[in-house]
Amino acid sequence: MKCRIEFRNTIAGIFLAALSGMVYADDSVNLDLPTAASFYTHNSQSLKSLSFNSPVYLLAANEADVIQGQADITLPATEFHPPWISGRKTHQYLGLGTVVLAGLTVLAAPGEGCDNCTTASQQQPRQTSGTTHTRLARATAAMAIATVMTGLVVHWNDIHWEDSFFDPDKMHARLAAAGALLMLYAVNASAHSTVPVNHSGIAELGAAAMVVAIKMTW
Amino acid sequence: MQRKWEAALLAVTLALNSAYAGAEEDFIFWLFNFSRTKGVKPVTDKQYQDECSGCHFAYQPGLLPAKSWEALLTPDALRKHFGVNAELDDATLKVIHDYAVDNAADKSWYKRSRKIAVATTDGPTPLRITELRYISRKHNDIPEKMVKGNKGVKSLSFCDKCHTQAAQGVYDVDTASIPNYSNWDN
Repeated sequence: MKCRIEFRNTIAGIFLAALSGMVYADDSVNLDLPTAASFYTHNSQSLKSLSFNSPVYLLAANEADVIQGQADITLPATEFHPPWISGRKTHQYLGLGTVVLAGLTVLAAPGEGCDNCTTASQQQPRQTSGTTHTRLARATAAMAIATVMTGLVVHWNDIHWEDSFFDPDKMHARLAAAGALLMLYAVNASAHSTVPVNHSGIAELGAAAMVVAIKMTW
Repeated sequence: MQRKWEAALLAVTLALNSAYAGAEEDFIFWLFNFSRTKGVKPVTDKQYQDECSGCHFAYQPGLLPAKSWEALLTPDALRKHFGVNAELDDATLKVIHDYAVDNAADKSWYKRSRKIAVATTDGPTPLRITELRYISRKHNDIPEKMVKGNKGVKSLSFCDKCHTQAAQGVYDVDTASIPNYSNWDN
């Protein structure tokens, strides 16, 4: 029971993370919030080389009405740092995370049986939840769906009906969506069967589709 | 379980080693190359870089298909290079022409180049990067005041004014910053 609650918490965490990515979309999270003092220091440094008559000095001094009609004004450029987290990067991390989880799921898969197995162990009821493999598989499927959803939100304008069938972004979207659906299907098929079902091929095909999709736009 | 670990380790090793086998930018090299090739291939030819950047941003050849460079880089075309005489001596023109055609969008495995190549296979030969349907669509939602009306940009032709890593061939939205509009994406 405890494991099941932990697993649910993990899934809930992944979905929350995915949703957070959607909320932020393209907006960067700037954790280094500027203070009044930092603004003061920055402006005073940038104005040191300027005369009092400089339009930039006047603009920085909030005297915009004084400089009306003067055309060539460009604010002093500040060094640009790309955001470390954004909608696009969230999508990227989710995609990579899906592939890593898929790999771990394969590695955690139970053995295919052996000739020396005892009859008693073969007759044990099939475990469709609670094992490391099943937890990882469900987490993989959930993350794959979250990846597809964030991709649709943040890259919606990279895909257009007038683009060719072989457009890399279109192929990426098609393959990733197919991969996610195949993994979801494999998890679902295995979870609702009391007898062993051959779901590994479908799941691995889904994971391979995700890998190819990522590679196409990497 | 041990077999799977061994197989995974073998696959990773093979993949890593294969990356060294690809000397040129061909399919095999792209397949096993783990560095990012999402944008366009950066300019690597010094003469191309120097000659082009003398007047404007040295656009990467991967931003246009080969047929466009063939049309743009002729002695006649350069005499009327978008309203400016940009004549080059024959030897320099040959170097620049060959470099541009060899690294054009339809010969590159970089994602944005492939996207441009696929979109320009049919139809008229594009002569301006800004007129490519894909490029114009990506910039459609940017208000004119941020480009033409912005003294820090003036035109979409000045890629590097907003794309801070344009010289490296990176044109991601995350690396874009419009001068005078720090919160343009909001």
